[in-house]
Amino acid sequence: MMLDAFKKLFGLNKEKSEAETRLLRRSFQDHYRSFRSLLTANNIALELMAEMEQALGAGQPFSMPFVRGQCTALTVNIYKMVQHLQELSNGKYGGLTGAFNSISGSIEEILSRQPKIAGGKFVLSLAELDIHSTEQAGGKMANLGEIRNRVGLNVPDGFVITAAATKHFIDSNDLQDEINRRLKLLDHDDLEELYTTSASIQQLITKAPLPEDLERLITDQYEELAKRSNGRILVSMRSSALGEDSSNISFAGQYRTQLNVTDDMLGLTYKEIVASKYKSQAIVYRMQRGFRHQDVIMCVGCLAMVDGVVSGVMYSRSPRDPRSGWIIINAAPGLASQVVDGRALTDMFRVSRHSPHEVLNRELRVRESSSLTESQTAELAGIAVRLEEHFGSPQDIEWSIDATSRIIILQSRPLAQTAPVEESGMESIEADETQPYVLAGGVSASAGVACGLVYIVRSNIDLLQFPEGAVLVVTHPLPEWATILNRAVAVVSETGHVTAHLATVSREFGIPAIFGIAHATEKLKNGEMITVDALGRRIYEGRRDDLLKSAPPPANLMAGSPVYKLLEEVLRLITPLNLTNPASPYFMPSSCETFHDITRFCHEKAVTEMFSFSSRYGFDEKGAKQLVGDIPLQWWVINLEDGFREGLDMKDKWIRIEDIVSLPMLAIWEGMTAVQWKGPPPVNLKGFGAVLFQSTMNPSLEPAVRSSMASKSYFLISRNFCNLSVRLGYHFSLAEAHLSDLLTENYVSFQFKGGAADEGRRSIRVNLLKEILEQYDFRVELKADALTARVEKKSASFLIERLKVLGYLLIHTRQIDMVMGEQTMVDNYRRSILADLEKIVQPVKEDMT
Amino acid sequence: MSGKFNILLVDDEKDFLEITTKRLIRRGYNVRSAMTCSEAVLIIESDWPAVVVLDVMLPDRDGIECLKEIKQKRPSAIVILLTGHASMQAGRQSMEYGANDYCLKPIELDELIEKIEIAYREKVKS
Repeated sequence: MMLDAFKKLFGLNKEKSEAETRLLRRSFQDHYRSFRSLLTANNIALELMAEMEQALGAGQPFSMPFVRGQCTALTVNIYKMVQHLQELSNGKYGGLTGAFNSISGSIEEILSRQPKIAGGKFVLSLAELDIHSTEQAGGKMANLGEIRNRVGLNVPDGFVITAAATKHFIDSNDLQDEINRRLKLLDHDDLEELYTTSASIQQLITKAPLPEDLERLITDQYEELAKRSNGRILVSMRSSALGEDSSNISFAGQYRTQLNVTDDMLGLTYKEIVASKYKSQAIVYRMQRGFRHQDVIMCVGCLAMVDGVVSGVMYSRSPRDPRSGWIIINAAPGLASQVVDGRALTDMFRVSRHSPHEVLNRELRVRESSSLTESQTAELAGIAVRLEEHFGSPQDIEWSIDATSRIIILQSRPLAQTAPVEESGMESIEADETQPYVLAGGVSASAGVACGLVYIVRSNIDLLQFPEGAVLVVTHPLPEWATILNRAVAVVSETGHVTAHLATVSREFGIPAIFGIAHATEKLKNGEMITVDALGRRIYEGRRDDLLKSAPPPANLMAGSPVYKLLEEVLRLITPLNLTNPASPYFMPSSCETFHDITRFCHEKAVTEMFSFSSRYGFDEKGAKQLVGDIPLQWWVINLEDGFREGLDMKDKWIRIEDIVSLPMLAIWEGMTAVQWKGPPPVNLKGFGAVLFQSTMNPSLEPAVRSSMASKSYFLISRNFCNLSVRLGYHFSLAEAHLSDLLTENYVSFQFKGGAADEGRRSIRVNLLKEILEQYDFRVELKADALTARVEKKSASFLIERLKVLGYLLIHTRQIDMVMGEQTMVDNYRRSILADLEKIVQPVKEDMT
Repeated sequence: MSGKFNILLVDDEKDFLEITTKRLIRRGYNVRSAMTCSEAVLIIESDWPAVVVLDVMLPDRDGIECLKEIKQKRPSAIVILLTGHASMQAGRQSMEYGANDYCLKPIELDELIEKIEIAYREKVKS
């Protein structure tokens, strides 16, 4: 024994030849290279996962290409981790490949899932439709069938060309792949490209020939319709898309509607409407609301034209207050389409929901006499209530009154509503009269306050130049302006009212809008800064922070959408962490159920492999050395590569801090030693009792039970890397960092677990740690009393300061859970810790590229 | 960062190729470009490039097929695949056929350079 120790001490170990040592050194270098690559892949993978989780919470739009891109990048990096661990461990963990294949296979399956398209007839008459026909006929036409056949109201006679027909048309021309290809290449932020791509796809569709069988079926249906209507008739053709089924999603004004179609134009118009799925505003809308293009399938309704004498739109309730007791009716002479286009001047009526439905107030804008009689407003209101009751939610209804005074329903769909505004803030709000304003009046088409530069749009050419974050100012609220609603902060229009399509979309996007505010395009000047208060219906000069502060936070547009749900589903295979305890017998490849599990497993095993290399090969050079000098506690250091200064005798069993050149280790050390530890805090008897109780109850707190690695405190280091596992008292913590010139591989991570006191005290402490770490830019997760924190892809100088924080916390928080019983103590500790840290940590401005 | 080495860019998108080549040269790398797979293979056979950045859609060959051919001719070649549309399957296949990385377009130049540097360092023995 003595002799062995002697030999080792002086490097006289005869059992290893020079050549052997060289070989080992080489093998170790290869291991270290794989280890480093594994850490980089781990860093990228964890960042990708965090980005995906953030996307779910942030409420910002994200698209399928985002989800697919993240999943692909993840797959590649997890694959790399598995490979590198195999290299490191000489193939010890073959079971990982199976786990990886099964998880990535399941994710791929979810991503490639296609919507089911109902088979069956290509054409169905309205008499055959009801609410259950949505899958064949689309929401709009199925609803119209329901209104005709179940509710028993008047609707125009007609038929629908079904989803199966559209599929037949697209398939027989082999269009889908080409459409997908063009969409994939599309940069959504480039408006010009958006218009070009949109136009090219629409052209592709309208130029494709209609299959003969389909064309014949459409003609036949038309002939029958004409016969029922006694002769040749004109029809209106309108989209009825599948996927418009959610009550908060309107798809208002996205697609094409064509009035007065003659029989010779049926085929072409049908194709144009199918193509209108790819109108620019529809592409943007789906992107904003989290729909995949494939989730929307066009059906086309074909309805006998109604000679509307008066037409309009009504809401069965106020769109901003579902509890409101009135119905809003907008009416104008002529056809309904001008009302939804927002072009025509309309009369507005607010009518009681209760029989006899008296008019509560009216604004006549068309001419002096009302466009509707009292009995007509009452009859319309009755219909609105009936439809709301039948469909079970507030409705947005298009109607016409024909020459024989019949009310004909053209469409009824769920009303897109914004979150209810507090009673006091609604409608009655009066703007502050003492403040000077530029413009006032109009209607509040979408509530809210926003500030931006004026940008007046008169044509599509103007749209192309539309600056991000500007206020869109227009003469008429045309549906096609919706293309840039995702860039605008507010909309101001000289005409229009709450029932215009653009108002609906503004409300859905949470963009404040004032419509019907006269002379806006003359009074407002391009480039001037204004604040739009849509509720107070005032426009102010400059930025008005007082008003902006009162605006409600924006809604999460994505929540519940198909793409959102898909990301949620995929994340269930990615982010949950099941492998939390390396000491558990279930910490093995076959227990990996998620990508996160695989990363956790690979990382743990890779560190263990590096740690045990020297002992496995009797390779002293890489053995642990004890840190000596005037230092607190006991520490061992293992040099993975270039963590010691050059020229140091590697055979030594001891090392001094001056001999260490590992950047991250030195940073941690600086944090550890910057402030002297005051020793264990004074413990009251209760806290101490809790400690004793825990250590008798929990055998895993006994050092001997853990692996050799965890029973002492070790630094595994190279110049750029440090992995520190600390066991102090009853706490286990792990700090790890990589610092270099390449942001891709830079990170600091921290894990903390355990403590000797009871659960309550432990949880107070991890919460305190969380609070402090978050102040220093860490992303922190808590699970019971285990804390993980991470910050990545920042510059080395930024991360060095974060490592100092960790070093400080490792030393100074180790026993405070014993005294964490009282809130005042917690506050005291927080204050003193933050004060210390402020002295230790240098501010570093992070210039992320 | 390591000493500047030779990079071969393979892409059929002329604009991307020209701009990226120019910018990588400005960062001190030696850069050549190819617009087809066969052109690229010729340059790789000459053992010139240290790192190959390969677009997945080439006019004469599917990117993964091209990767296979490159790896067959020069098993030690360092290849980073670049693609405009992400596919998990293609990503996994590329790695199985020996790609060093699989990146998604659009990619910032700085990020691409880091990927190139890391791939280079992982493969080239110090």
